[in-house]
Amino acid sequence: MAESDGSGDFFSPRGSGSARSRLSLPSASRNGSVSQRRQRRLSGGLGRPPASEKGDEEDEEEEEDEDDGEEPESERPRPPGSSEGGGDERHRRLIRNQYRELICSVQQNREDMLSSKSNRLTEALEEANQLFSGVSRAREAALDAQFLVLASNLGKEKANELRSEITTFDSLTFAEDLLTFMGINRTETEGNDSDSESMSGGYLPSNAWYKLGEEAEKYFRRAPSFHYMLGSFKSEPPMPRQRIERQRKAPGGEEKRAMPAQLKKMEESHQEATAKEVERILGLLQTHFRNDPCTPIFFFDLVVDPNSFARTVENIFHVSFILRDGLARLKLDDDKLPVIEPVQNVEERNDDHSARARNQVVISLSHEEWRV
Amino acid sequence: MSQRKRSRGSGLTQGDDEDFSVVPTQSPSQVQRNLESRSQEEINRKVTELVQFLLVKDQKKIPIKRVDILKKVIREYKDVYSEIVNRAGRTLQQVFGLQMVEIDTKHHIYILTSTLPRVEGENLKQDIQTAKLGLLIVILSFIFMKGNSAKDSAVWEFLRRLRVHPGEKHEVFGDVKKLVMEEFVRQKYLEITPIPLTDPPEFNFQWGPRAAKETSKKDILSFVAKMQKKEPSFWISQYNEAKANT
Repeated sequence: MAESDGSGDFFSPRGSGSARSRLSLPSASRNGSVSQRRQRRLSGGLGRPPASEKGDEEDEEEEEDEDDGEEPESERPRPPGSSEGGGDERHRRLIRNQYRELICSVQQNREDMLSSKSNRLTEALEEANQLFSGVSRAREAALDAQFLVLASNLGKEKANELRSEITTFDSLTFAEDLLTFMGINRTETEGNDSDSESMSGGYLPSNAWYKLGEEAEKYFRRAPSFHYMLGSFKSEPPMPRQRIERQRKAPGGEEKRAMPAQLKKMEESHQEATAKEVERILGLLQTHFRNDPCTPIFFFDLVVDPNSFARTVENIFHVSFILRDGLARLKLDDDKLPVIEPVQNVEERNDDHSARARNQVVISLSHEEWRV
Repeated sequence: MSQRKRSRGSGLTQGDDEDFSVVPTQSPSQVQRNLESRSQEEINRKVTELVQFLLVKDQKKIPIKRVDILKKVIREYKDVYSEIVNRAGRTLQQVFGLQMVEIDTKHHIYILTSTLPRVEGENLKQDIQTAKLGLLIVILSFIFMKGNSAKDSAVWEFLRRLRVHPGEKHEVFGDVKKLVMEEFVRQKYLEITPIPLTDPPEFNFQWGPRAAKETSKKDILSFVAKMQKKEPSFWISQYNEAKANT
């Protein structure tokens, strides 16, 4: 891949060694006029990044301006700050842009350039050559050097591939074949896009990679992942059922059990409260009767709370439970006022359960009446 | 509990205090003696635990360290470690068709591989692991065909042609870069090493030890050949290399 008019030193190492050692090469291979110019620059200083060793810039090369003040001013034939000032800056920016584009495109299309079928690397080199002709400052030259590193790496790889007798593995066609296997649907896309990459158009189905994976499994001795079929052990479901049952039994006055869920607890305490109240009232009733066995209590005396209507209603509600369960009896006394007395005898209670007819009494008590 | 003989290390202590990086090397007769001090039941229990431990650890395909085995399963049965491992290996083979393969002899790290021959049309469960394997085989093929190592820029450019981009979220794989550079590496399918003195840093892709054990150059060459509808011998140097590798 030697350039037609180059010095032939294209593949020589371009490390970050001293400038002197690098620049000593061109003076050996160029004609006299250039080497004279170079010598002058050489004598100036060490720190400048040199122009590349491309051969064809002898005539077009411009003198490099002083950038870092290391060279003595007198050596340079062209004075600094020439009349081309502003246009020069734009021109340089343009060159830098072009270099960057070139570098980018080379990086993106590595595989393409490596392919033995393509001349793209040579083309890129020629383009850089052209660009270099416009370079006059260190910045652009640095970009040129960067490109050169890139290109020479690629060149080395390409040469490597030529050296061994392998049939070059063409990754591009391999990629295409893979896509085909995965079931790509190659439709007629819009004509050539400006995209320089030769990516094929087409629609890749969603199971593409799964299909490929399925084929891939044949080439692996992978241990299948071990999972329990029924998943891990869960312990929540039985609990709610127990809780519900407990709630239903609660009005009968069962013992309260500790329960995890807050909500359930609230309902439960609601029920419990009722049961508790009922028991409490029953207790009161029994105590009273123990003290004074002969006097049944006036119903309204028992239930009415002088201070709260709601409480009164609640009390009636609770008492009704007692009555329902047969633990107390409600009857009308001589004055036709309801009195309540606890049922003493257990047997009586049981009998009552079976024999007793269901009497339903609706007591209406309005707020007005209560107040009275 | 009878005193246990050890070829090295301190006396009998609680599991956590012991040095689990070291397994006492013992002669077969020593092992036999240690075995006799334990009941069959105890040992079988440990064997079962080890088998379960290995199977569960293998779910994510992260290699299993011997240190972990000792610390979490064997514990105070360290002196009969070799016997337990042998029996566990037999169980794995006879019941599951799997074997424990050491991929790092220095640090004693193991993976499980299948010993059963592959059968056509076998895969009933296709999940994300299947798709990931597709991506993996493509990367491994590329690396091998390019001479057993490839630069990351080359690999990513190749993947781009398959509509996989490191910067974009892939509809199947999600964060592909993470999958390739982290997950595959952790599972030891790939070995990614930074190339020194490069800025921005570049990486070198190679086959990882798990890849070397779960597949082979010959298998991968067959895969490539099948995809490209050519004979494996078409690629002379790779073919020779693959042949030499078996």
